[in-house]
Amino acid sequence: MAEKPQPVRVLYCGVCGLPAEYCEFGPDFDKCKPWLRQNAPHLYPDLLNDAKEKDVDKAAEQLQAVGISGAGDGGGEGSSANSGSTSGSKQEEVKRLPGGKIKKKEKQEVVIEKIVRNKRKCVTVVKGLELFGIKLSDASKKLGKKFATGASVVKGPTDKEQIDVQGDIAYDIVEFLTETWPDVPESAIFFIEDGRKVAAA
Amino acid sequence: MFKKFSFEDISAQNQVKASVQRKIRQSIADEYPGLEPLLDDLLPKKSPLIVAKCQNHLNLVVMNNVPLFFNVRDGPYMPTLRLLHQYPDIMKKFQVDRGAIKFVLAGANIMCPGLTSPGGALNDEVLEETPVAIMAEGKEHALAIGFTKLPAKDIRTVNKGIGVDNMHYLNDGLWKMERLE
Ligand SMILES: [Zn+2]
Repeated sequence: MAEKPQPVRVLYCGVCGLPAEYCEFGPDFDKCKPWLRQNAPHLYPDLLNDAKEKDVDKAAEQLQAVGISGAGDGGGEGSSANSGSTSGSKQEEVKRLPGGKIKKKEKQEVVIEKIVRNKRKCVTVVKGLELFGIKLSDASKKLGKKFATGASVVKGPTDKEQIDVQGDIAYDIVEFLTETWPDVPESAIFFIEDGRKVAAA
Repeated sequence: MFKKFSFEDISAQNQVKASVQRKIRQSIADEYPGLEPLLDDLLPKKSPLIVAKCQNHLNLVVMNNVPLFFNVRDGPYMPTLRLLHQYPDIMKKFQVDRGAIKFVLAGANIMCPGLTSPGGALNDEVLEETPVAIMAEGKEHALAIGFTKLPAKDIRTVNKGIGVDNMHYLNDGLWKMERLE
């Protein structure tokens, strides 16, 4: 019997969550710096020297200010002013990543997916109506009535609520949605087909 | 593969039958003999094993809400980086030079020159279509899980283009999905 290896303990950064040695390549190295100085000075000796050369307190204060403004009211002023001294272009590059992701999440769209259960039974899953200010319980009732089938609000894999409608109604549903809720444009409705997102319009 | 991965990409989560669980355990043990003594802890026979099916024929092997392995279609199982960090010696290792780190962390596939330059390293035993840990020059821990396109020897001689597909890397969607709940 082979010996049971012991798990390695990896020092993960308390700010960005990466192994601390990768903070320098992480989404916001400046934000990690105060934590690293406290918890992983051996990994970034330059960070300590830098801080010593300048006024330690001042530097810490500055960094803290960045941390707060970044996390709180999103004041880009502090961070951009500070980043100028380190490496402006690099910062810009990483910033875009989280920005792009956030945008995508907030995008108002309805996603419809047909899930086949057994051979002939299927369920049409409608996600995202709540993003248009539609009450899901209401919508579920209306869908059930219109298509004379069972419809219920259920928690999806992400804990996000979605509407499951029994039966394949994928193709009639677009018209019904846009007529019932004029706030939902056809262009915001998508189907999942073979794992790909396809616009309904 | 996990660049934009999130909970929404999981289409179904099912507890698998005992026979399937055995099969999964066996293929993991075959691929990573170093993990064998740990499998009773990682994938206890008595605990329910969940397979989460995701877009693009991707499967996650989940125990106690923690994703531990993934595979594509019927391909080999690969550990998540969090698991690999705990047991770094279960996989064969390649190393990229420092210059390649930021590209790998942006999701790019691994180009041969990044592995053959002075900061890089190859394990010549590795053949094509094999899972490997991607380490980095000057770093202790893996930054990605790769799947080789070429045998290590060809990566050395060809020395251009993509040598290893980047399957999973630090801060991608799977990395951020520490737990499934
Ligand atoms: Zn960090």
